[in-house]
Amino acid sequence: MAYVMLELKELTTKYITRFHEDVYAVDHVSLKVEEGKSLGIAGESGCGKSTLALSLMGYYFAPLHYTSGEIIIDGKNISGMKPDDIRKTILGTEIAYIPQAAMNALNPTQKIISFINDVIQAHDPATSKKDCYDLARSVFENVGLPAEVLQKYPVELSGGMKQRTVIATSVILSPKVLIADEPSSALDVTTQKVVIKMLRDLMEKGIVKSMIFITHELPLLYNVTDDIMVMYAGQIVESGTAQQTVFDPLHPYSKGLMGSIIVPEAGLRDHKLTAIPGVPPNLKKPPAGCRFADRCKYVIPECKTNSVGLHVLEDDKRAYRCILPEEELRRYYKNA
Amino acid sequence: MKNTLRQVFQSGKFLVGFCIFVALLLIVFLYPIFIPDPPLAILGQGTFFPPGIYVSTFDSINSQTIYTLNLPDAAARRIDTRLNDQQRQDIKDWLVLDGIPADQIDITNTAQLLDLWGKNYDPNKDIPGLTNAKRNYYQRLSVSLQGLLLTAGQIIALPNATTGALEQTGAVNQSDYVNIGQVANVRVLPLGTDNFGRDVLTELVRAAGVSLEIGFVAGIIATLIGLSLGLLGGYVGGFLDDIIMFITNLFLVIPAFVLLILISFSIGQESRGAFTIAVVIGFTSWVWTARAVRSQVISLRNRDHVNLSKLSGHSITHIIVSDILPYIASYVVMALILQISSGILAEAGLSILGLGPRTTEMPTLGLMMNWAMIYQAQILGKWWAYFPVLLTIALITFSMNLMNTGLDQLFNPALRD
Amino acid sequence: MKGYRKYFQNKLIWLLVTFVFAFILNFTLPRLMPGDPVSAIVSRLARGMSNSTGMKAVYEQYTALFGTNKPIIEQFFLYVGNVLQGNFGTSFSQYPRTVADILSNAIWWTIGLQFPAIIVGWLIGNTLGALAAYLKKGFDKVLMPVSIFVSNFPAFGMAIVLLVVFGVGLKWFPTSGGYGFDLMPSFTLSFMWSVIVHYQLPFWSIVLIAIGGQAIGMRSMAIYELNADYVKYARFLGIKDRKIVMYVFRNAMLPQITGLALSIGTMVGGALVAEIIFSYPGLGTTLLSAVTGQDFPLISATTMIVTIMVLVANFAIELVYGFIDPRIKAAQMD
Repeated sequence: MAYVMLELKELTTKYITRFHEDVYAVDHVSLKVEEGKSLGIAGESGCGKSTLALSLMGYYFAPLHYTSGEIIIDGKNISGMKPDDIRKTILGTEIAYIPQAAMNALNPTQKIISFINDVIQAHDPATSKKDCYDLARSVFENVGLPAEVLQKYPVELSGGMKQRTVIATSVILSPKVLIADEPSSALDVTTQKVVIKMLRDLMEKGIVKSMIFITHELPLLYNVTDDIMVMYAGQIVESGTAQQTVFDPLHPYSKGLMGSIIVPEAGLRDHKLTAIPGVPPNLKKPPAGCRFADRCKYVIPECKTNSVGLHVLEDDKRAYRCILPEEELRRYYKNA
Repeated sequence: MKNTLRQVFQSGKFLVGFCIFVALLLIVFLYPIFIPDPPLAILGQGTFFPPGIYVSTFDSINSQTIYTLNLPDAAARRIDTRLNDQQRQDIKDWLVLDGIPADQIDITNTAQLLDLWGKNYDPNKDIPGLTNAKRNYYQRLSVSLQGLLLTAGQIIALPNATTGALEQTGAVNQSDYVNIGQVANVRVLPLGTDNFGRDVLTELVRAAGVSLEIGFVAGIIATLIGLSLGLLGGYVGGFLDDIIMFITNLFLVIPAFVLLILISFSIGQESRGAFTIAVVIGFTSWVWTARAVRSQVISLRNRDHVNLSKLSGHSITHIIVSDILPYIASYVVMALILQISSGILAEAGLSILGLGPRTTEMPTLGLMMNWAMIYQAQILGKWWAYFPVLLTIALITFSMNLMNTGLDQLFNPALRD
Repeated sequence: MKGYRKYFQNKLIWLLVTFVFAFILNFTLPRLMPGDPVSAIVSRLARGMSNSTGMKAVYEQYTALFGTNKPIIEQFFLYVGNVLQGNFGTSFSQYPRTVADILSNAIWWTIGLQFPAIIVGWLIGNTLGALAAYLKKGFDKVLMPVSIFVSNFPAFGMAIVLLVVFGVGLKWFPTSGGYGFDLMPSFTLSFMWSVIVHYQLPFWSIVLIAIGGQAIGMRSMAIYELNADYVKYARFLGIKDRKIVMYVFRNAMLPQITGLALSIGTMVGGALVAEIIFSYPGLGTTLLSAVTGQDFPLISATTMIVTIMVLVANFAIELVYGFIDPRIKAAQMD
């Protein structure tokens, strides 16, 4: 088995609202990303996938708080580390982040190079401006961006250019794991393709070792990542390879996400999430039983009362969170 | 709509502001019902009577029932009101200047002090180092101290109709009391009188009412102008927008109060009523609303629902009323609130400059400030003539801005803490 | 630098345009009104209110200077010509002093008072607002309501409160004037000290008002910026919080500078009224005595001077802004 680059063990984080209520947005999430592999995380908005992205860097800001669990990056457990040590030695160098809204991710009154200087010097204050510039230039050229971009202000860049600049800035210190939170959702289709290609190039060129890609468009993941995980109401409800999760979903929710028809790959790209009736549960008071029970077509009385664990199938990668056995689910899907 | 209103009233800041504002409005409306006196009636002959309960001396002497109360501290209180510590010290100072050793004077011993004073004080005596004003002060003091320690009653006398000689008609003993409820003429002046001898409270309530009216008129005019220009420029766009923006930017940099001063002065004292002033303020303060509305409208102009409405062939009026106005309503309401409060402040500033509404008809908060300033109430320590006015201005503007801040936080979630 | 020059040119043209319109407004507004200045003078003469030969002389001089018997267009050019030469005629109420003489005295008091006061108020207000946004909790809870209250308090109200508390009550500072009434303006130590002592109350009353408004504005801007996406991104790239706070305050400050440019007119207006409370020998007090004396030439000239001051201040702030905000230069380059 390949080397595990990032591992989460039962990570739980919560938001504390301004009325002092706890909202567990990431609830006992475990996952593994191997070296050279990429993992996609899908789910509706509000399912906790973006919070998971923020949580797995081990660096928390109010209202998000760490509760329990472990984060192991490249063999190092960072969950007990001091925030300032994480900032200095982990963020940007071990694990880096591409935010959801790249349009506004850059400080509008700073030149790109000046921001990159700040990033590099935040980890190594001794680096000279010249070295910073040389490093930035080589990374930018490596990912196919002209070095002139470095001397510009964000307002002078187009949307797609800004997004690519953000990606290049995130990998400036060659992080081992890259987390991309909906990096393409605000872009037009052509630019989306460019951005996706750029992310795959990063892996192929070895600039980053592993990647986590977060989106609400499950079909998009099939083309991008090796494995896919589906989240619902703060929990993982299904995980497996891209092929398995997209073409052979086990959890009724993933099934619902993909709709009822399996379309060939060419058509898959345009296949967006179909709406599942109902709304996710209120995480301030999560239900005792299965969190999807209220929206599930195949619900049985036990679903509402018994808490449901993750069933891990024999090949260790495949898992789903449902009270019903695999065969029974498959039978339902077949008859549907 | 209902939901929005409920949200609005859940905002703490808005609610506090709203309560203060409604309380002020209630006072303005209800006070004249209970106390219907004309606000500018001159009651007092003299300036700045301090706050208090005024009892007619005539009526109390001629009261039908005289009660005898033996209050143990009556004499001490009487002495206190007519001879305070400062005056005792002043007496001592005079006596020392006159040559009496300081250690022989005990200012806490009233009888001894007055005895010394009575024996030594002579208004004609030339004391070195005493200014004329001080000399007069001592003369007045000496007169007011006469009979301070007398325990006998005061004799009331009338001239005899034929001889003209004074004849005793009655005596008032030190232990005589009248019940204030039985005195025919009692006037409560909670805030005293102003420089013209007018009841400050009655005047203030009316002034607050007039100032609010001025604020409302000015605010509504400014908002209407700003709204129309903003809608026109923002929605129609093109050349019209360029012209409107040019004018707006122009009036943005040319200070509004300069225009206000020029216009108010030019109108002339005679035709400067409260309403005119309000209109002038309204016409000089629409700029911010126009700008804000325009930028809002521009961002709305190309939204899907507006385009849909256009494609459906609705008229411009219809589109503006049903597709644009509802979206900018909250901004317009906030702008209106700010305009009203700044209108009230503008009137006050103008009045202090002497360019306020004509003075004989009705008071405004600004005019009351102006009068108090002209008569130097602030230097003379007549706080009741200006402080309640300031407080009222502050409460009005504070309450309106609290409401505005509350609304702002509601409609701009980024500002929520 | 090329971008900045273009920006500068734009702003300069705009300054000239506003100048022209300010001239036109200052000239036409009083003449549009029923009680236009010249007939006001005539009526004063007719009522025998000021039957002096001096007044008559002023009237004749004014007629000749501004050509009030000539067509209105000609009058306008005469007016512009006169104003550009600094010739505003003779004051009615302070005859035989010329308006230019009165104003050239008053203007320095006003500039000396308001310019530092507004700058200091702006600086303190922005610092407090930024702190409130950053520290939140107790500091914010106290500062916010106080700021809202203070910023809605009229400037003259603050002036009166300071005057009563520190001037009349505690007797720490004198209550009126720009210097002791028994002194002659000169460069002596006692005169300077007197000026400084008289300066305090008017100065702080303007500063306090400015602080309130600026603190509220800065707080909103800073909260808005603290929630901006670039803050989150910079944090997750490992940049220190202190550095990020610098980004935020810089970015929040920029709109505050434009805000100052736009609100300077209102601030100056309020401060002029505050001057009156202290009988400070500046333009505000001049304006009051001009209004009291129905002195049209003086009022007209004072409003003109105030307008010019505000326009120039506005222009200066815009220039500084263009220098500080890199986006301005970048945007002009295209």
